[in-house]
Amino acid sequence: MFGYQNKVLRIDLTRKGTTMEPLNMGWAEKYIGGKGLAIKYLYEELKPGIDPLSPDNKLLLMSGPLTGTPVPCSGKLAVAAKSPATGTILDCSIGGHIALKVKYAGYDAIIFEGKLSKPGYVLIQNDKIEFKDAGDLWGKGSHEVEGILVEKYGHEASVLSIGPAGENLVTMSCINSDYYRQAGRGGIGAVMGSKNVKAIVVIGTGGVKVDKIVDVTNRLTEILRTDTTSDDNMFIYDCGTTAFLEACNDGGILPKNNFSDTTDEEWTKYNGDVLLASKVGKRGCGSCGLGCGNFIKIGDAVCEGPEYESIAVAGPNAGISDPESIVKANQVADDMGLDTISAGDTIIYAMEMTEKGIHDFGIKFGDKEKYIEYLKLMARREGVGADLALGVRALAAKYGGEDFAMHVKGLEYPQYEPRGSWGMSLAYAVSDRGACHMRAYAPNEEVFAASIPPYTAEGKGEMVYNLAIYNAVKFSMVICDFWPLSLERMTEIMTMITGKEWTEAEMNDVAKRVINIARAFNQREGFNRKDDTMPKRLANEALKSGAAAGQKIPQEAFEDMLDQYYAVLGWSKEGMVPDTILCQL
Amino acid sequence: MALKRLKFTRDSCIGCQLCAQACSAVHEGEFSPSKARLSIESYYTSDGELKYKESYCILCGMCKRQCPFGAISLDDKLTLNLDLCTGCGVCAEVCPKKVIKIREEKAILCDTCDGDPSCVKICPHNALKYE
Repeated sequence: MFGYQNKVLRIDLTRKGTTMEPLNMGWAEKYIGGKGLAIKYLYEELKPGIDPLSPDNKLLLMSGPLTGTPVPCSGKLAVAAKSPATGTILDCSIGGHIALKVKYAGYDAIIFEGKLSKPGYVLIQNDKIEFKDAGDLWGKGSHEVEGILVEKYGHEASVLSIGPAGENLVTMSCINSDYYRQAGRGGIGAVMGSKNVKAIVVIGTGGVKVDKIVDVTNRLTEILRTDTTSDDNMFIYDCGTTAFLEACNDGGILPKNNFSDTTDEEWTKYNGDVLLASKVGKRGCGSCGLGCGNFIKIGDAVCEGPEYESIAVAGPNAGISDPESIVKANQVADDMGLDTISAGDTIIYAMEMTEKGIHDFGIKFGDKEKYIEYLKLMARREGVGADLALGVRALAAKYGGEDFAMHVKGLEYPQYEPRGSWGMSLAYAVSDRGACHMRAYAPNEEVFAASIPPYTAEGKGEMVYNLAIYNAVKFSMVICDFWPLSLERMTEIMTMITGKEWTEAEMNDVAKRVINIARAFNQREGFNRKDDTMPKRLANEALKSGAAAGQKIPQEAFEDMLDQYYAVLGWSKEGMVPDTILCQL
Repeated sequence: MALKRLKFTRDSCIGCQLCAQACSAVHEGEFSPSKARLSIESYYTSDGELKYKESYCILCGMCKRQCPFGAISLDDKLTLNLDLCTGCGVCAEVCPKKVIKIREEKAILCDTCDGDPSCVKICPHNALKYE
């Protein structure tokens, strides 16, 4: 098949050696690339029960057949490992230009194994790989490190780096690239830190070949013009994800004060209009076409974004309405190498614990200076940060507050309140990496499009399944979430780039395989229905304000949704993938 | 009629490099920005700035005037006479936008895709124009 480089670079950090091997094309036909193929590799290569922060874990960078081509929105890279936050499979998706550089360097995938004996970084210049000392970079923020390395190797280089949080094995640490793009969730930065790898620098000057390249380029130009950048999608260019603030506030799913309620009367103080008035530039990823990135400066706070999630958690969910503080929190979290969602959720849990007098973390809702200070302490595990770096699940086990510990499987909750979009409670529960909004995005159906009633369990199993299979195949092609392309379009693109005729049915088969193999990985680690949970707050407390006022999700409704979802996938009542499916993966 | 040239507007550029991919596809038969006949990048710096680095042919004709072998002509586009070009590199040295490269002893010039530049056609927010 065209589009692939047919090469995997395997880097043994312990021995400082490298090997090249062909991509397993049998697996590529079944899983395409990106998310699906990364999970397949890890399913086959990781022994069950390994410690995610030990040298036994592997850090896998996986591109796809479209990476490095002008397929719009294809400039993303899957970054995968076993998660130190949850113990589940973990695949993240990072933008910027690193995906293209990996592909142009000649690789479909790069697999990091073992552990460097002391802090270092890996320099990959096409087929030349060097192991460099990072003694003078260790301890530095991610932004400073990227600056130093790009200064040294030039703008042809793309850099993946971790901040102090990753070095300190904080299980909510991220990997950064292009300063403001992250593989954010599940502690992927701690996996890199556990391998003593401060940064990965990639310079790729090769190319990607496809059949009938001029025709393909012309057709992709047409698709870009008529589909990707059509009027319906241009809010992404105009507003980025700040557009979701208004939609979520109106729909009653913008959380407030650690998910104790929704809907913020102060929201116009930090909404898209306010943030975008301070926009000083625009930037997208390689091969993008849409361009969601708004480069914003308010006072001395600078970041690309902030995105909806980061605004909501450091804003209304923390009782804060100061836009400069929200941007600063994003900037500091990125530089420290912390996931804005998990780190923010941990701080707002601590705020509620303190306010309720259960345990004094020294921070209350609205304490905007402390919010930023606590991020730095968490990344370095200093002072109260040593506790907070443990995350919501561990803190609730240690100090209480289980009723409002907002996580699934130890991954903290994204900022879409499920009581206003019941399907989201199911989506968070069954997501392969713990509470994640990127696996099935229910608000699209239940709130924004209002095509499915939000406050009922009925039909939610099938709805979440349909959303999940769409994302599973899209993220295996490694196409960005922001282009809502049809399955028909995905099929056309796969056929065009690989030169192999794909059908929509085959694409659906890939999607189902991806969901099943992720579940199979987790099942092998001991996960089942007991782990597909909903925080107690959602069942016990009705929302007081907003469009979903009065709503809570009865536990039996949640269990009903789980039953439905398992049934659609052919899993057992306990949420187990049966042998008849396992043997086909 | 005035000569049509590539024009670039920074404010409309998202740094996606689709332009360079389309260029290399049409001229080199692969998607490979490092082999493209233009390079437009944006990047952040550690002191919090967004910067641009752009290199594209403005049809200034410097290469044509300085070519010691008369291998380059300019009418509505640049044309290289492969028989006359020795790959001496003078054109690349004098090119004020650093567009021209020498590969396999020949100059690699932007020919504006014979008046229908693929980089312009694919540029998503019309940061590149040909006018």
